[in-house]
Amino acid sequence: MISLFTETFLGVFRPPFRKKEFFQQLHFVANTSLAIIVFCVSFAAIVTILESSFHMKLVIQNDSMVPGFAAVLILRELAAIVTALLLASRIGAGYAAEIGSMQITEQIDALKMLGIDPINYLVVPRFLASIAGTMMLTVIANVFCLLSAILVSQLYLGFTFGMFISSMHRFVHFQDIIFSMIKGACFGAVIPIVASYFGFNCKQGAEGVGHATTNTVVLASIGIIVVDFILSYTFSHIY
Amino acid sequence: MIEFKGLIKKFGNRTVLNGLDLIIREGEIVFILGTSGTGKSVLLKNIVGLMRPDEGEIWIDGEEVSRFSEDQYFSIRKKCGMVFQQPALFDSLTVFENIAFGLRRHFRLSEREVTDRVQLALKLVNIQGVEQKRPTQMSYGMQKRVSLARTIALQPKILLFDEPTTGLDPITTTVINHLIQDLSKQLKSTSIVVSHDMNCALSIADRIVVLDKGQIEAIGTPDELKKSQHPLVRDFLAEVLSL
Ligand SMILES: Nc1ncnc2c1ncn2[C@@H]1O[C@H](COP(=O)(O)OP(=O)(O)OP(=O)(O)O)[C@@H](O)[C@H]1O
Ligand SMILES: [Mg+2]
Repeated sequence: MISLFTETFLGVFRPPFRKKEFFQQLHFVANTSLAIIVFCVSFAAIVTILESSFHMKLVIQNDSMVPGFAAVLILRELAAIVTALLLASRIGAGYAAEIGSMQITEQIDALKMLGIDPINYLVVPRFLASIAGTMMLTVIANVFCLLSAILVSQLYLGFTFGMFISSMHRFVHFQDIIFSMIKGACFGAVIPIVASYFGFNCKQGAEGVGHATTNTVVLASIGIIVVDFILSYTFSHIY
Repeated sequence: MIEFKGLIKKFGNRTVLNGLDLIIREGEIVFILGTSGTGKSVLLKNIVGLMRPDEGEIWIDGEEVSRFSEDQYFSIRKKCGMVFQQPALFDSLTVFENIAFGLRRHFRLSEREVTDRVQLALKLVNIQGVEQKRPTQMSYGMQKRVSLARTIALQPKILLFDEPTTGLDPITTTVINHLIQDLSKQLKSTSIVVSHDMNCALSIADRIVVLDKGQIEAIGTPDELKKSQHPLVRDFLAEVLSL
């Protein structure tokens, strides 16, 4: 898998650059995942803010810091990781099944026969599209998370928009958004590499494709969480 | 010329090709027969580097290719056309694009020439009017023929067919078999045909190779094989001779 990653990474800089495939894949990653991601992260944000307010009130009888806390949590972790995990199952499974069935129906061999490097043709566009798409979706997810948090705190917790923003201001830094995008990009890189690895090593038959998809979702999710830990740890030294 | 020297291919501890020696001369049509699972497809894939042998050598036109890198293999693959056992069509592309893909890649052709060659190739395999269909919208037999068309459109010097007629109706089978014969005459190409069709092998092969358990059990011209007393060869012949 490491060699697949290196080859893909080097392949990014090697022509031919497949713009058409890239935009097709970007459409698949970003556009078609947008609705489900906005929906899920918004609810996750709502739950987070309601819960933290409830517990703050319980413990220190005061929830004035909740918007700030919630905003930090959203920007540093929630939006990026929920987005990435949703994408891991959605596009990771899709890629693994697609490449896996191309493998077992000898389409990959047919590509090689035409002198086309499957990594350049299949993996690189997906890799780039997934990085770009996950980054964009992470930003969008952040925005929607914050919006829904603001909305809920206005409706249920009695914060005005201004209070929310000023509370947020004390905790949130501009770097948080950048770090969140970096996280998005790294998570986005994990998914297609894992998916392609299992796709290329797919065993014959429908069962083989099933295994490839399941393994992809499991390993990509684990990978994302590990990468998240490493990045959070690294960033904590930079703040 | 293609030459195998002591070719060994293993999967885990299962030996599929077990020290195979064979010379295929230029312009020859060689049929490879053998029961299911003896390694016929594996042998073809070794020629074009889609699988690599564990031991032994493969010589193609004076070059030992089995240790070639993927990039080096490009020149070999350009010379070879392979019809896979499965149709192996790119299912994100239409039939036209499937055939045009390799043409555009290997030759500098105008769009007009590409269209002409795609149509000619489809005509040769006896289907027409499917250019804009997707592979998934067609029957297995049609896909198989498009797959043949995709390969012959490139007019390669070495043609590798993995069961080109299995699963096709008898009329199309005859068309395809004649096509293989014509191609090798017209292009002077070398053809290796993996097949179960002894009848056809006897009529168009220059030589027939019978594989069993990763080794060559019998080899010879159709006439020589007809006289062979080898039990496996007789089994293959039984069906044809009883007709
Ligand atoms: N990628 C692979 N991994 C492991 N084993 C394989 C692989 N490909 C082929 N084999 C094994 O090698 C043996 C030969 O396979 P091959 O596909 O060459 O058979 P074949 O002679 O073409 O049979 P058929 O007439 O059914 O196509 C089989 O037993 C198969 O299990
Ligand atoms: Mg086979």
